[in-house]
Amino acid sequence: MSARQAVAIGDVPRARAEAATQRGFVGGFLCSFFLALAAVLAFNVVVDPFALAGTGVVPTAVEPDRSIKLDLLEGLKRGPQILILGDSRGRQAQPSELKRLTGHTAFNAAVTGGSAPDAYVMVRYAAALFPHQKRRYIWFTDIGLASSTVQPQLAADPRARPYLPDAPGFGLGDVETYLSTGATKTSWRVFEKCVLAACHSLIRYHPDGSLTNQSLHYLPEHAKSLRADVRRAVASARARSETLAQWRHDLAAPARFAYLDRMLAFMNRRGEVPVIVLNPIYPSVLAALERHGFPARRATLEKIAQLHKRFRFVFVDCEDSRKWGGRPDDWTNATHVNRANMRRELGYIVRHSHGALR
Amino acid sequence: MLFNSYAFLFAFLPAVLAGWWGLSRWRRPRLAFLTGASWFFYAWWDWRYLPVLIGATSIDYVAGLWIARSESETRRRFLLAASLTTNLGILAYFKFAGFFFGSLNGIGSTLGLGAPLPSLHILLPIGISFYTFNSMSYTIDIFRRRVEPTRDLLVYTTFVGLFPHLIAGPIVRFTDLADQLKRLTPRLTSETAARGAFLLSCGLVKKLLIADQLNPYVGRLYTAHAHLGLASSWAAAVGYSLQLYFDFSGYSDMAVGLAWLLGFRFPQNFNSPFKAVNISDFWRRWHMSLSSWFRDYLFIPLGGSQRSARRTVLNLVVTMFLAGLWHGAAWTFVVWGLVHGFFLGSHAVLRRAGWTPRAVAVNRAVTFLLGCGAFVIFRSPSLGIAGDVLSSMLGLHGLDSSSQFAALVPFRFALLIGALLVFVNVAPNTWQIRLKPRVWQGMAAGLAAAIAVMTISQAHPFLYFQF
Repeated sequence: MSARQAVAIGDVPRARAEAATQRGFVGGFLCSFFLALAAVLAFNVVVDPFALAGTGVVPTAVEPDRSIKLDLLEGLKRGPQILILGDSRGRQAQPSELKRLTGHTAFNAAVTGGSAPDAYVMVRYAAALFPHQKRRYIWFTDIGLASSTVQPQLAADPRARPYLPDAPGFGLGDVETYLSTGATKTSWRVFEKCVLAACHSLIRYHPDGSLTNQSLHYLPEHAKSLRADVRRAVASARARSETLAQWRHDLAAPARFAYLDRMLAFMNRRGEVPVIVLNPIYPSVLAALERHGFPARRATLEKIAQLHKRFRFVFVDCEDSRKWGGRPDDWTNATHVNRANMRRELGYIVRHSHGALR
Repeated sequence: MLFNSYAFLFAFLPAVLAGWWGLSRWRRPRLAFLTGASWFFYAWWDWRYLPVLIGATSIDYVAGLWIARSESETRRRFLLAASLTTNLGILAYFKFAGFFFGSLNGIGSTLGLGAPLPSLHILLPIGISFYTFNSMSYTIDIFRRRVEPTRDLLVYTTFVGLFPHLIAGPIVRFTDLADQLKRLTPRLTSETAARGAFLLSCGLVKKLLIADQLNPYVGRLYTAHAHLGLASSWAAAVGYSLQLYFDFSGYSDMAVGLAWLLGFRFPQNFNSPFKAVNISDFWRRWHMSLSSWFRDYLFIPLGGSQRSARRTVLNLVVTMFLAGLWHGAAWTFVVWGLVHGFFLGSHAVLRRAGWTPRAVAVNRAVTFLLGCGAFVIFRSPSLGIAGDVLSSMLGLHGLDSSSQFAALVPFRFALLIGALLVFVNVAPNTWQIRLKPRVWQGMAAGLAAAIAVMTISQAHPFLYFQF
């Protein structure tokens, strides 16, 4: 055997060994890659910090107020005569104040980031629990009026699901969210607080759905400095560049109003006339927006006029807080009024509701 | 479709790899599959620009065949001119028409003539600068009789459209791929897969865990361009240089890794550019496929450095002016190209005179600082902003107050810059790492890739996508 042949034969096992180690590298790569991602996904789904999967093993990092409000509604012995709907701004409305102003019992069903699907579910659920009772409604909403985006927390609640035919389940988008470092950090925070220690929510509610006094300090909208928050909001208002055409285009999308249409149609069928309230904007922020024409407001008012042709409701514009005697100091941040201002606002709403709340 | 997206990593790539290696017995269906997949990849961005890609590909394929067949030098020149005019015409229309009209209107307004031309808002087809350059190199090489044209349309469509290099390079020449396309790799070997997976994970880490982490800090510094002091302006310049390097070299690593996974070898695009000892060395290490393209198809035909010093400088300035313009239709890119032309010309003159420093450390530092300064012009949205940052770098706006510096250059950012500066000067680049595949190394690479993938939701597009 020549030396050359010997080298060639000697190379075969070496090549085989190299191929084996390379296979090991690829195997190790694929295993660790997919196992790491699967572990992260599993951890986030179990902890479920954003209430996307509905596992409910530990409290969520986001406020689970949709389910809380449904629980409280369930616990009522008699159906409320006024149902307060809307987002975090509406949460400040106290049913006791409405009772004082109108003589009717009320329940606050407004939820954080609430929009038309949340309001629709609350309306339907209240109607299902207390079917033979006509009701009055105040719906606190913003410029742009409504969206049809169903919050995952709402979609995950079995009591809400019958009213949400288009609600997505836990989908690919949620998998992406739960594969992210952001979700993992939040999960870890929840895990540390709730599993390694005991955790409880700092935001509590009275049986009528209103916030307890202690909870007011822990609201996410409670700004450390109102002045700084207003400054930021004014800067952001100045930077806005949307046009009337853009807003008209956005508000012309029928899908956006699917739940609002359903809700108004449901109420009108039952002979109920809701009061739709446009939320206030901090005076200097409103001034900054108006300096640029505030096309969003114009498009929204046009949309309200269109809705008026199809549905019966009372519209109360509370955007300019001067109209209802709002004070610039009585805000929790640049977008949320505090209880004192809310009392003034409720008085104005009741006075301008054309008897819909009487 | 971005390489750093879930759709690409978990749907497109596995499907393409399965199809490509599943069809390994049938060469033509395999090429047709890869072309189709690449066109799908391109159309995912905006399907309306797919006809532009297919049109440019078809014209150069036919032009290549006709040039090779023709005996007449005049006819060959005419055909080459037609091919180049088409490619440059597409590039000029999509990339420069709006800029040209806008600039003429600007001159008109300055002279009091108003804005006589319509303002064009043409959306730039992604990757156009890259695939037109791929195509042009093909017809030029055939004209120079350096390469035989392919008669197989599928080979040509695969060469131009191959998705790893389609959007942001490296600029691959037909000579790089002709043999590989003729004899396709029959099966995915463990070596190919290991190398591909390693480069892909390096690219993901560079892009997602380094470049994208620098992005918000750098963005904030350039937004505050009017308020920068000496130190914060240097942080902006160095931070962006590092961001661009990790972003683009990360993309290139991913492209090369993906090519490996398909059994192709792409040329190297970055070779530790911040270790360059002079500006011409920098251009041999930075975006190598583009600089070698300009060297071979422009600088050398203009006469290169074989003639007088004055002519060499002129050739360098013209080449770099066009290289700057290639990056985008904006005065910042033009000035950036001219500045590099000036640097290269100056270096050529100083080298001939023997006046370049000998100390490697000094040469490296000077080259790095000049490159960072030039990248300020490249990054800035306008020449005015570039002027603000550059004048701050020269100390003309004074020093930063401690509170301002702390706000603009947080400790984490400063630490990141420091660590990365050490890394780019000391560590080997991805091409220098001789992979000795072991299970634990594969696991480490997989884990790094997984961590990078977890940051995809905060990812930013690759910086070179805009070109």
